[in-house]
Amino acid sequence: MKLPSLFRRTPFRLTLLFLALFVATASAVLAYVYVASASEARARAEAGVRAEVEALTAVYRTRGVDALNQALVDRTLRGGSYLYLLMDKDRKTITGNISTSPLEPGAAVQGGRWDDFRLTDTDEAGKVRKRQAIGVEMPLAGGEQLFVGEDIGDIEAYLARLTQALWGAMIMVLILGIGGGLVISRRVEKSMSGLNRVVMAVQEGDLKVRAPVTHSGDELDELGQGLNTMLDRLEASMASIRHAGDAIAHDLRSPLTRMRAKLEVALMDADAGKVSGVDALGIALDEADLLLKTFNTVLAIARLQAGGAPDPKVFDAAELATDMAELYEPSGEDKGLEFSSEIEKGLMIEGNQPFLAQALANIIDNAIKYTPSGGAVKFRARRRSSGEIEFSVTDTGPGVPDEDRERVLQRFVRLDNSRTEAGSGLGLSLVTAVAEAHGGRVQLDEGPGAYGGQGPGLRVALILPPASGTASGTN
Amino acid sequence: MRILVVEDDAEAATAMVRGLSEAGHEVTHAVDGAFGLLESQKGGYDVYVVDRMMPRLDGVGMVETVRKGGDQTPVLFLSALGEVEDRVTGLKAGADDYLVKPYAFAELIARVEALARRRETGGVQTVLKVGDLEMNLIARTVHRGATEIDLQPREFQLLEFLMRHAGQSVTRTMLLEKVWEYHFDPQTNVIDVHISRLRSKIDKGFDRAMLQTVRGAGYRLEA
Repeated sequence: MKLPSLFRRTPFRLTLLFLALFVATASAVLAYVYVASASEARARAEAGVRAEVEALTAVYRTRGVDALNQALVDRTLRGGSYLYLLMDKDRKTITGNISTSPLEPGAAVQGGRWDDFRLTDTDEAGKVRKRQAIGVEMPLAGGEQLFVGEDIGDIEAYLARLTQALWGAMIMVLILGIGGGLVISRRVEKSMSGLNRVVMAVQEGDLKVRAPVTHSGDELDELGQGLNTMLDRLEASMASIRHAGDAIAHDLRSPLTRMRAKLEVALMDADAGKVSGVDALGIALDEADLLLKTFNTVLAIARLQAGGAPDPKVFDAAELATDMAELYEPSGEDKGLEFSSEIEKGLMIEGNQPFLAQALANIIDNAIKYTPSGGAVKFRARRRSSGEIEFSVTDTGPGVPDEDRERVLQRFVRLDNSRTEAGSGLGLSLVTAVAEAHGGRVQLDEGPGAYGGQGPGLRVALILPPASGTASGTN
Repeated sequence: MRILVVEDDAEAATAMVRGLSEAGHEVTHAVDGAFGLLESQKGGYDVYVVDRMMPRLDGVGMVETVRKGGDQTPVLFLSALGEVEDRVTGLKAGADDYLVKPYAFAELIARVEALARRRETGGVQTVLKVGDLEMNLIARTVHRGATEIDLQPREFQLLEFLMRHAGQSVTRTMLLEKVWEYHFDPQTNVIDVHISRLRSKIDKGFDRAMLQTVRGAGYRLEA
């Protein structure tokens, strides 16, 4: 048979365990209180009886049996809670405030024979009750026996009330414990079921759910916040995968569609005898190459993101920058741009040279592509005061609005006004992937502002950490 | 020239054999590295074109064995693995050039011919001559006929490469790899711009253009 669900829950089980421990501890404490009180009260009563016995035996020792007798009479007349009985050696009563010894007859014990006994009494309502008492029979030198006893019924009653109170306390402990346990387990249960619901929903594929967070700062809240952060990241990466997937589909579909259309037109033209198929095939090949390039870039980005920069080597980025400037300068000038470069010497970095060359090529190519004729492109490579190596390309083209700067670094994002230019929308994504794989970053800023009817321009900076041990820059 | 193609993919091999034969070469096909090794030991080949991933003996193993046997025939590696470290291991194994699949056929032929040519012109040359174009490698001067042509250092290197491969097609990628020594995709045809500058220097004012564009392939310097 299955337990009721409550009993299978960890919080409730913990509560029960805690309660058991609590009850055990409370019982021990209460038992100690009981035993300590009882023995304390009894010890006090015994001490009183003993003192009385000593006083009386002292009277007997010094002044004889008659003086003792007189003392007993005096005490009896004075009243008090003590019981007295003086017996001769045959246990016949000589004097006292009781008629016979309540103790069982027995051999005299040197130093006194102690025993408990019961007194019969009537209470206020006239009801007969037995009250507990203690007493001692002390043999005297002349063979007489002196009995002194005390009624400790009040102690007994006190202990009985104490016991009752302790039982009451125990019941309250149980009630409060179970109640508190239920409240706590309900609360934990509630938080847990919130988390559980989230996990179940995620299992079903819903990434939009979030765990309720109370900001109470407890572990469950922390767990919930952690879960939410995890879900945020998961959702973001799923979204970016989906986005990349859509974008790849889109970007591969357009060249495929174009190729298909061109082949179809060529087929019709060839059928009509207007043209040979060769031209169309050439164009189709170009489109196929474009597709391949897109594929390769997507793969390169994925690889950089997954495994960092492959095959890193320490090399002088100044040489790379000089070569890139030399390679692109004629293209810029052919487009009617003023292309200039400013490259510091000795910029040692550690990285993958082909990927860094590709990144610089993408940045410079973008600048040349998007800057209208008559504009300027400036390429700089320098060491920042922080020691980092910075490659920057500043152009005087239309630039990228502030709010779009983050976005253009993402895969396949192309701003509307750039759609007329050839390109996959992967250029800056690759630059970002290269930068991150090298522990660096990409920064986009506004260019120089208005420039002969153009502007405000764009400044793209690729910032990389220097090769270790060369940060001071004097090699 | 005689070319040994070692490729396990039958379709790729058929296309390659056909293409290289049509370009006027004598082609033998081996289906894997082990057969390729046997075939290479018969000797007489000008170039080996070796696929990297094959059953039994792969391309790297075959080329290493070939080189250990003292055979210095140029090797062109073909591979679907295009990463830098793949290229490095391929070249370390003893290959002379590396081409990533899929490739343009013109690229394959240009590279095979460049490899074979490099072997022919093994000796140290101080003067290169193509038609009336003459390059002095010691004095770093270039003349076409009686006219001295002033070239930038990179233009000089570019022309030197074209002259060493005169009569052959060279692709843009080959120029970027061999002249600039970079392996990346320049996005736009930056190489074309450099070629057109070189062309304006060596062909402008002469009645015959030597530096020709080869459709779908690249460029060719004709005598």
